[in-house]
Amino acid sequence: MTTDQPNPYRLSDSGTRQISFTFDGKTYQGREGDTLASALLANGVHLMGRSFKYHRPRGVLGSGSEEPNALVSFDRGAGRVTPNVRATTLELYDGLVANSQNRWPSLKRDVGAFNNTFSMFFPAGFYNKTFMWPRSFWDKVYEPFIRSMAGLGLAPTKPDPDVYASTYGHCDTLIVGAGPAGLAAALAASKTDNRVILVDENPALGGSLLSSEKASIDGASITDWLAQTEQALRQAKNVTILTRTTAIGYYHDNFIALAERLTDHLADAEIGQSRERLHRIRSDKVILAQGAIERPLVFHGNDLPGIMLASAAQTFLNRYGTAVGYEVAVFTSHDSAYGAAFDLHDAGVHVPVIIEARTDIDADLRDSAAARGIEIVLAAAVSNCFGKWRINALELYTPINGKTRRIKCDALLMCGGWTPSLHLWSHSKSSIKWDDKIDAFVPGKANENASCVGACNGDFGLQTALEAGGRVAGGEATYTVSEVPFGRGETFRSLPNYKDVSKQKAFVDFQNDATEKDISLAVREGFSSIEHVKRYTTIGMATDQGKTSNLNAMQIASVAVKKSVQEVGLTTFRPPYTPTTFGALAGYRSGDLFEVERKTSIDSWAAENDAVFEPVSIWRRARYFPNGSEDMHAAVARECKATRTSLGIFDASTLGKIEIVGPDAAKFMNLMYTNPWAKLAVGRCRYGLMLREDGYIYDDGVVGRMAEDRFHVTTTTGGAPRVFRHMEDYLQSEFPELDVWLTSTTEQWAVIALNGPNARKLIAPFIDGIDLSPDAFPHMAVREGKIFGIETRLFRVSFSGELGFEVNVPAHYGRAVWEALFEAGAEYGIVPYGTEAMHVLRAEKGFIIVGQDTDGTVTPQDAGMSWAVSKKKKDFVGKRSLMRSDIVANGRRQLVGLLTVDPNVVLEEGAQIVADPDQPIPMDMIGHVTSSYWSETLGRSIAMAVVKGGFDLEGKTIFVPMPGTTHSAKVCNPVFYDPDGERLNVG
Amino acid sequence: MLVDQGLEIGDTLSDGCLTVLLVSERTRYSLRIKAEDLTAFNLESGLGLPERIGQSSLTEARMQLCLGPDEWLIVTQPDLDKGLGAQLKRLSDSFIFSFTDISHRNIALTVQGSEAVAAINIGCPLDLSPEHFPVGKVTRTVFENAPIMLLRTGEDVFHLECWRSYGPYVTGLFARYAKDIEMS
Repeated sequence: MTTDQPNPYRLSDSGTRQISFTFDGKTYQGREGDTLASALLANGVHLMGRSFKYHRPRGVLGSGSEEPNALVSFDRGAGRVTPNVRATTLELYDGLVANSQNRWPSLKRDVGAFNNTFSMFFPAGFYNKTFMWPRSFWDKVYEPFIRSMAGLGLAPTKPDPDVYASTYGHCDTLIVGAGPAGLAAALAASKTDNRVILVDENPALGGSLLSSEKASIDGASITDWLAQTEQALRQAKNVTILTRTTAIGYYHDNFIALAERLTDHLADAEIGQSRERLHRIRSDKVILAQGAIERPLVFHGNDLPGIMLASAAQTFLNRYGTAVGYEVAVFTSHDSAYGAAFDLHDAGVHVPVIIEARTDIDADLRDSAAARGIEIVLAAAVSNCFGKWRINALELYTPINGKTRRIKCDALLMCGGWTPSLHLWSHSKSSIKWDDKIDAFVPGKANENASCVGACNGDFGLQTALEAGGRVAGGEATYTVSEVPFGRGETFRSLPNYKDVSKQKAFVDFQNDATEKDISLAVREGFSSIEHVKRYTTIGMATDQGKTSNLNAMQIASVAVKKSVQEVGLTTFRPPYTPTTFGALAGYRSGDLFEVERKTSIDSWAAENDAVFEPVSIWRRARYFPNGSEDMHAAVARECKATRTSLGIFDASTLGKIEIVGPDAAKFMNLMYTNPWAKLAVGRCRYGLMLREDGYIYDDGVVGRMAEDRFHVTTTTGGAPRVFRHMEDYLQSEFPELDVWLTSTTEQWAVIALNGPNARKLIAPFIDGIDLSPDAFPHMAVREGKIFGIETRLFRVSFSGELGFEVNVPAHYGRAVWEALFEAGAEYGIVPYGTEAMHVLRAEKGFIIVGQDTDGTVTPQDAGMSWAVSKKKKDFVGKRSLMRSDIVANGRRQLVGLLTVDPNVVLEEGAQIVADPDQPIPMDMIGHVTSSYWSETLGRSIAMAVVKGGFDLEGKTIFVPMPGTTHSAKVCNPVFYDPDGERLNVG
Repeated sequence: MLVDQGLEIGDTLSDGCLTVLLVSERTRYSLRIKAEDLTAFNLESGLGLPERIGQSSLTEARMQLCLGPDEWLIVTQPDLDKGLGAQLKRLSDSFIFSFTDISHRNIALTVQGSEAVAAINIGCPLDLSPEHFPVGKVTRTVFENAPIMLLRTGEDVFHLECWRSYGPYVTGLFARYAKDIEMS
């Protein structure tokens, strides 16, 4: 036996480059191709973490993604720390830095380990029971304590500088798992004209083949066969191979999410290079070849570092050249562990004993062991394990004679059988059935076009897997295989021990720190459903999803509840199969690409002119344009004043626009809006009010009639998509007989609103083809013509109460026309204003904003807008609801104006209103403030509110209690300024 | 006029394998007519609107795209195809149908190159293999959060339209993908 000098447990120089890495601040040597786990084991380091609840020392249990114990923080620099990475899947690179978790101050001196000493006080459900009282302690004391003590790695606190990718894909056959079954399926599928995607979570293809050195396929060694197979698949044009890619979830209609790790294994990955890519794949057929996971044995002390699954030791040996120890004992109830024992022995490791739980085994195995001088003890068990940071001896117990014997060892392998991996199969809602032969659930009826092959179908053995894999993909290939027989096993519901069960720490779920007695306790306390047992004990939960624990837990529970395992059933597996970064799920949707931010064609001018923006639905809108150091209050006051006295310019392009065209356009308008439309003349506009079926205000906007059969409808900015859908819905399902069509024209037009007494003077020199004189072009009219030679739909409308025009020009010309108007407006001291001034100007006039002054429970009557509801029309959407008893009843909240007694007080929007501020708390709230502003024009504050029976309260005082003070206000008509509308004609 | 939209994205995003170009000014009409009137309408107008959803008729001057059971998008090169608006106006005397000028509502991108399909598939969930999405096929779809219309004009060439305010988001995603190609 030769060993690698810096790696005392490395049995052979693998020929790969030596690299160094750091774990918990200490530098070690490893080999290229190692995982962190294999490299630490090569250094003789077994202690890799502390357990979740009791902070017990833990080493590796497995060798792949099933690992529940060895979870580490993978540190790639500031903001690039990934917690809870399995040391068994973390690929080593030169300079890698990783740290253990859930310990303080260090892995060997963990303060939290007192939980272990007092673990008799921490049974399942301990937290639920103990921290119930006093209730007030929960938020400040108990919860923070539990949160800091439990849990695994720490979430990173700095922003993640990495970027991520995502994509969609389609194929005919998706194969998950590139072990023998998956490879054989891929080979068969590659010979068809199907598009094939082959996925494996490991860096290399091969799966279990990578650990089975002694086998051969068709006369070739495993290494050669794998090389040939990979070459054939890579040459096939119809096959895509994705390694380092985990199928994390299986969704409806064969939609599979794959997380591909692109850079975590690279020492020199740059920031800016996509770290992971999420593939969203739709496949006609899915072949699951995920293999099986070895089951631990549940015995006292089975979680000590150095105790691991037999297959894991075999993988560390055959794939990484690493011995997990030099005195390696084996405890098994399944034949497959003998292969691991023999491989270790043949590599020069001493195997002092194979402890066999069964009473008899095949002669072949016995002979093979005898030939190697390995002692087998039948019908025996491990009853105790010794050692602090790593096992150094075990206690062998033979129940027949009650004798115990201490055996020295530095590692102990265990094997309790095999569990087919049904995680993805279960995600797809396919059924499972119990197979007595292997004491495990196997796939039942498929719910999608999917098949399981190989070990995940319960078909063990290399030849079986290869041929089943080929067949499922339509191939007929046969394979000549030389292999160590997979054998069989027996499952023990409980292993013999002379100690009382209550004194044992026999772990079932290593990640969640749940033991055999926790399950029994849960059942004793009345949790008989396996789903309840899962939640009470936390078995099978969290990142692990019960990969190594589910079947053992279920079998222990079945004994406790005295039901068969079939009746107990399995808990539900949930995606993702393994923990997935949020980055991978976000894909490209980060930073600027997180969400669409819509901008108008005039937005760039606003940005260049120092506008302060606000989001309005997903639009970005200029809120105000500060001059120098002006705050919002000063800027808005200035913008309002300029508009009222001379001229303001406002970008209204975001208003939704719908072109309604067809001979039945007016008929359709009559049905969709409360107002009458039939008699609206061509070239005239009308304010339109839209209700939902329930009679509540849904949207509003000015509508212009462009022709007998053509309306130009405007909607609120945020309401545009839903109004369009609402109309299209009614047109298609309720009024399909109408000859009318809807087209969204929101983005066809840039809209420049000009308000103020000088508005007409400004545009007059640039308009062609429209008579602007007040008689020819009255308020609420629309004309088509040209402005600066560009076609325009010119509306004379006003949302400010001043003389107003809305210049609609094709969007690409928006900024050019805006700039030309702005330049010409200098003569009138033109001022650009934003949404905030627009709100103030309209509130001074008592114009509502749907969604601000209404909240989905306000009728036209409540809003004081009965004038907008036609009395003559036979029908419109919402008409019948307006006669509902609760709608016509007294005492509804009605929209009123409020004037605070102190004119300098600007009420808070959303503030509650009471009739009597001296009543006891909780007070009877009669309404709330919907809009509230400082009005520079009026030199005082104004507000709008919905108040119970508000119309009858005009002139009365109401109260607005706020922290520390109560404001009083008088109820008034909400039209605060120019109630007779005279200013529309000034200019 | 297009450049003020933040849409000036350069001629080529990535070394030959992916080109994303902003298409110059086009005239666009949304045309709506009931399916039962289509044959007569085609006969009278000579427009030759395609009859099945997803079909297109393409010439250098004009794209006619059937997007729905009663819906077509017509995109023309203004220099080569001038009379359409007037023709449609005349036709409205004899047919019940709707046409609306939406020239400025949309912008269009030409996405071209051996990486074009992969680039579109980063945000579009459709199967763009030639069997499922042959040359000439058009559809409404999405590109991550942006609604788009996608037309395949060649094996490696797509004409993509979206509402103008979605343009920077769409081109931003393509730019991000181009960076991925560059760095890998």
